[in-house]
This record gives sequence, structure tokens and C-alpha cells, in this order.
Amino acid sequence: MSHPDGALVVEGLHVGYGEAQVLFDVHLAVPRGRLAACVGRNGAGKTTLLRTIAGFLRPRAGSVRYGSVDLVGRKPYEVARMGIRYVQQDKRVFADLTVRENLRLASYATGDWDWDVVFKYFPRLKGLLDRKGGYLSGGERQMLMIGRALLGRPKVLLIDEPTEGLAPAVVEQLGRVFEELKGQATLLMVEQNLPLVGRVADVVYAVKEGRVVAEITDPDAIRSGAVEAYL
Amino acid sequence: MSRRLRWWAGILIPFGVLAVARWVLPLPFLVEVLIFSVYTMACNFLLGRVGFISFGQPAYLAAGAYGTAFYLYYFGRDPLLGILAGLASGLLFSAVVGLVFVRLRSDYFALVNLALAVIVYHLMQKVLAPITKGDNGLWFLDRMTSTPVLDLTRPDGFVWFAWLVAVAVWALYKALDDTVFGACCLATKTNEDKVKFLGYHDFKIRWTAFVLANTTAALAGSLYGVYFGFVSPEMASAARAADPVVVTILGGTGTLYGPLVGALAYVGMKDLVSGVVGNWEFFVGLLLVVIMLAGERGIWGTLEPWLRRRWAWRRPAPALQE
Repeated sequence: MSHPDGALVVEGLHVGYGEAQVLFDVHLAVPRGRLAACVGRNGAGKTTLLRTIAGFLRPRAGSVRYGSVDLVGRKPYEVARMGIRYVQQDKRVFADLTVRENLRLASYATGDWDWDVVFKYFPRLKGLLDRKGGYLSGGERQMLMIGRALLGRPKVLLIDEPTEGLAPAVVEQLGRVFEELKGQATLLMVEQNLPLVGRVADVVYAVKEGRVVAEITDPDAIRSGAVEAYL
Repeated sequence: MSRRLRWWAGILIPFGVLAVARWVLPLPFLVEVLIFSVYTMACNFLLGRVGFISFGQPAYLAAGAYGTAFYLYYFGRDPLLGILAGLASGLLFSAVVGLVFVRLRSDYFALVNLALAVIVYHLMQKVLAPITKGDNGLWFLDRMTSTPVLDLTRPDGFVWFAWLVAVAVWALYKALDDTVFGACCLATKTNEDKVKFLGYHDFKIRWTAFVLANTTAALAGSLYGVYFGFVSPEMASAARAADPVVVTILGGTGTLYGPLVGALAYVGMKDLVSGVVGNWEFFVGLLLVVIMLAGERGIWGTLEPWLRRRWAWRRPAPALQE
């Protein structure tokens, strides 16, 4: 099935590590310019799902398509060059490089040297350009990681637990950023912060033991945190 | 001090000191320091910027030395062309070997390189003995013709050539630090996955860095070859495999001046101690342990922060934001 409108579609995905299977027949679709959230307990397979889409893991079966392009079998750097960016959970930036150098790396890879978009969402980074990544706070590192992913006008952002361990003020700021980004890129976010999910998501997938057990599209149900019943 | 002025001062001060030292220090000592620093710059780049620890550097050193030796023994007489032949053979050798080796990591990478040094040693000593003359080595000192401006066949001309090469290699690595490629190398060392997710071909980055560093090691081998006018399998000996790694750590891994300071300290200790006692390796080893215990960041890695504080070289830190 092709999706010329630029949707990110996962169909019948089976993924595992060695003998252990982690994802079983996962289906999901994120329409262009929308934000989908995957929620679930630790170990449910959410990160594995993002890593598979990003090209880091090869599925045993199933397909991952962006529009009409099949992503399965492509290397991570090829997926990234297609405009599909993965922001990992670990919040580790290149510690020995300054913020400026971190952004330069992303600029060179994408050919986009206009950092205004980064400073528009994260003005704090402007004053930290000469600071090494290793000396940033958790929130600043997350801003840098997302800011780096924004260069080159990404088509899809895969964001893994962006608010984990961050102060409420930073979570609030990131929430506003995600709401603004929705119109410009397709977002697939793994998140355990249900109030945030209720605020920003257009569709929510509940993942349990490697399977998608619920797909919630009703805005009222999303806002009310109905997904909690499936976890 | 402006950024550009600081950049030039960074080159001219240390190498200016070495140039002045030409009239104070024994010439063979200075030549050895200069060539060894080039050799160590390669290892320092691999270890400090890319995160590769290699115990096979003698193999690449020998690739350059034998490239030079084959040219000067069998084909030509111009030492400059001999050095170019050494560079080319080092480039080719590391480019081919790198296709396989850079797929490996940490201890596997270190050991497979050590194995390579053993293989090259035996190739030069036994398998290729008809053309390498085995343990007797290749002698070509009297075959080399004089070169214009700096006569490489004379030690007092060669020392300036070695000085120029060391300055050029040092400047190259310093310039690389400010490039995207330099940042990519450091990023690969820190987190390879993230480099991929940014859209970079991580293998190409590692391979390019590997080839660059080992061609530098081959250049050092070529310089040794021309300076001594002689090359033997001993150059690839695994017994000397740890030398560049030790000197890199001694100088300060990943620092720009580390290779220079490390080479100066190592060759200095070697010459000083061997002049007093026979088993100099034992005492040099002991000194190295003491130095490393005193400051695990190496000599320059320990000195640099102190010097920065002393002369306030450090750029002002960006203001903290609320």
C-alpha cells in the first residue's frame, strides 16, 4: 500500500534481538503533520519500534513506509538523510563538542546552516554556543538534541521519551514546541508523561508486551487519559 | 589575542623553540624527536580523536619506510621522490587494510593491528627476503643524490626538512580540529549511533581517519628511511608496537601538543638514561609508570590547565543564563 500524502505507516512489524522477539505484528499510521504518541510500560517495546523505523534494527517481518518509500533495509544514515530524524532517549549529546559544533555537525549533514529555527524554539541555546555538551543540564541537552534534529526541515521526527527526568518548566516548554512542530513535520513520540500526551497527541497507541493493544483517536478520550486503562 | 593570532602562535612558539634548540641539542636527538612526534601525532589522532587504540603502528611505519627504500634501492636516487613513494605505499596499504580493520572495535582493533605488525615483520624478514634482503636490510645512503635548498642527504639539511614536515603535519591536525570532519571523528568516538542518526556514514568517517593517521605514520617511516639511509624488518617489530601508544599517553592523549611533548620526554629519557645505565628500558618503563601515576592525563594534559590559569590563555567562559 502506498501513502503519497507523506504518512508514516508501520504494518505487521515483527522485531527481535537474537532469539527474543520484542515486537509482534505492530500496525500504526501517523498522518502527515500529526503527532502520534506511543505509551506503555518499560520494556513494552516502544524504543525498539523507534529504532526499527530509524533503520537501526532490521525487522523479521513487516514494513515501514514513509509515503511510497519502504524504509526497511535502509541504513540509519540513509533514513536520516531522507529527513527522518531520531532523537534518542539517553539525552547524551557529543560531550566533547561545544553546542556550536554539535549544531555544525547537523548543519553540514543537512546543508541547512540557518540556526534561527533552533533558536526560535530554544532561545536558551543561543547563549550556550561555546559551552561543551558535557557541561549542559539535562534540559539543555534535550533542547540541543531536538534542535539538532530540526535542522534541514525534517519530514518526520521520532522522539524517544523527551521529558524523562526533566523539570516541569522544561516539560512545559517542550510541550509548546511539540504543539508548534506538529504542522511542520510528522511526529512519532514515545512518552510516559500522560498529561503531556493528552495535551499534544492527535493519536495515541498503547503498547503492551510488544503489541499495539489500543489506538485512540478521539480527542476527548486522548485528553482524558483513557489510554491508561490499556497499560 | 585574536583567534587567528592564537592559531599561529600555537604553531610558531613550540616549533620556534625546537628550531632554536637546533643549536643547543645534539642533532640526532632533535631529528629523532621530530620524526617520533610525527609518528605519535598519527597515534594521538587515532586514539584521542577517533577512539582507536592501535598496537600495529610499526606496520604502517614500515609500509612507508619500505616504500621509500624500494624506490631508492631499486629505482631512483632522489630522496624527495623516495618520501613520496613511501607516502603512496602507506596510503595504499592503510586504505586496503582499513576496509577490514575499521569494522572492528576496541580490543579487537588493537589486537588485529598487532597481528598485522607481526605479519609485516615476517613478510619483510622471510617471505620477501629476496627483495628486502631480510635481516640485512636495504642500504641506500650512498645512492641518494643531493636535493636543492635543503639537502636531505646531509643531517644539517635533513633536520630542517624534518622540522618543516613536523610543522606541516601538526598544522594539518590542528586545522582538522576546527573542521566538520574533526568534529565527526570526535563524535564517532563519543557516540557512533548518534553520528548515524545525524545522517553521516560512520564507516567512511572511521576509514578516512584511519587512512589519514596511518599515512602519517608511513610518512614518519619514510623520514626514518631517508635519514638513516637504511631500512630493516626491525622497523615493523611488534616489540616496539607499544611505543607510539605509550608516548601518546605520556604526552597527553588527544591534546595537540601531547605528541611533541611526549616525544621530547620519551626520546630524552631514553637518551639520558641509556647514557648512564645499560638496561635503559627498565628505567624508562619505571619513569613512565611514575609519570602516569602522577597525572593520568599525561604531561601536557596535566600542564595545560595550569598554564591556562597561569597566563589566562583561556577564552572567557560564556555567561551563565538564568
